[in-house]
Amino acid sequence: MAANMKAVKLRIKSVETTMQTTKAMQLVAASKLRKAKEKADASKPYLKTLKDTLTDIAHGNLDFGSPYTKPGTNDKWLYIVIAGDRGMAGGYNSNLFKFMESETKGRDITVLPIGKKSVEYFKHHHVPIYTEAYAEVARVGINDCFELGRLICKAYSNEEFGHIFLCYTNFISMLSQVPEASSMLPLSDFIETDGSREYTKPRDLILYEPDSETVFNEIVPEYLAGLLYSGINVSVASELAARRTAMEAATDNAEELIEKLNLYYNRARQAGITQEITEIVAGAEEL
Amino acid sequence: MSAYQLDVVSMDGPEFSGNVQKLLLRTIAGDVEILARHMNYCTSIGMGTAHVVMEDGTERTAACIGGMLSVMNGICRVLPTTWEWSDEIDLDRAKAAKEKAEKALNDAKLDAEARVRAQAKLYRALVRIGSASSGQ
Repeated sequence: MAANMKAVKLRIKSVETTMQTTKAMQLVAASKLRKAKEKADASKPYLKTLKDTLTDIAHGNLDFGSPYTKPGTNDKWLYIVIAGDRGMAGGYNSNLFKFMESETKGRDITVLPIGKKSVEYFKHHHVPIYTEAYAEVARVGINDCFELGRLICKAYSNEEFGHIFLCYTNFISMLSQVPEASSMLPLSDFIETDGSREYTKPRDLILYEPDSETVFNEIVPEYLAGLLYSGINVSVASELAARRTAMEAATDNAEELIEKLNLYYNRARQAGITQEITEIVAGAEEL
Repeated sequence: MSAYQLDVVSMDGPEFSGNVQKLLLRTIAGDVEILARHMNYCTSIGMGTAHVVMEDGTERTAACIGGMLSVMNGICRVLPTTWEWSDEIDLDRAKAAKEKAEKALNDAKLDAEARVRAQAKLYRALVRIGSASSGQ
């Protein structure tokens, strides 16, 4: 009985240490989350204005023919997959990979992983990787996004790929983060109206310098870089939110486990005492 | 001198919003200066120092790299990739970046892609150093 009691005591201690870790991780994630959320929201007005301008240009020109708006010439897909660098974030990484699997079924894909987990996963599954230069999501800054934007524009113009998609985790709320894939190239949605803006009115006359197509083609890599940067920021916020929720659950579970173990420990202690008393009484009666 | 509304929004959020007299910056087609009552206009921005003359006549400069400039119905929008006011630029860091890029470019074994990257870094650092010193 005594040995059993010692084992339970040790187990309680070990669960307590784990709980301290999960509690600390929860607090760290919660404090980082607020900043990440602000960062994710900050790039929205920039993207919206850029998109509106691109749409205006695409619709203002009747003989418009940028290489980025033409449909892809081949059936190769490039997926840029943004996952986390670390685990311990609940289903954040695995949900994204599951989503990727169902999304890309039967397609000839190459991936450009961002985040260590993403690199690991696709290497393990023998999916061709375009470049591993952006393996660490925490290190990818604004400049890297611009490099990447130019890189994928070049890859698309050289007809290496016919479709380029971005796969990331969208931040819906503190409790819900959903993996999503959005098309980056070709920019066909700039040609087809999505119904949100009417193009029947006479257009405003705008002077483009040097000319509208050059401006359009200059802005596209910037726009894609903006999309990437915002995708990364949103994913980081999602990861932190997922980690916070997961760690909160882990802390709660640890608390419950400790309570159970304490109960068990006390019961065992009581049983030990009762047994001792019985033994003493039985011994006294013998005398 | 009459003023007009200028909004500067970069990827990190709004940088400036208010009335200004003029804005001078470098586009891919050369330097342009925007005054009040400019016609509708759109171009993409190159790399250079932007000069903003505020409503009260004071001038502020900033390192402005990439992005787009548009004037629509009297409102001027600048959407730069990076926008740093001269007084906020860390000159030591920019100088360190310049030296690092120059060192990388002197390396004969550098491959073409890394060379382009180092060159871009050098230009950025030079623009920031230039803007920081013009603001003083």
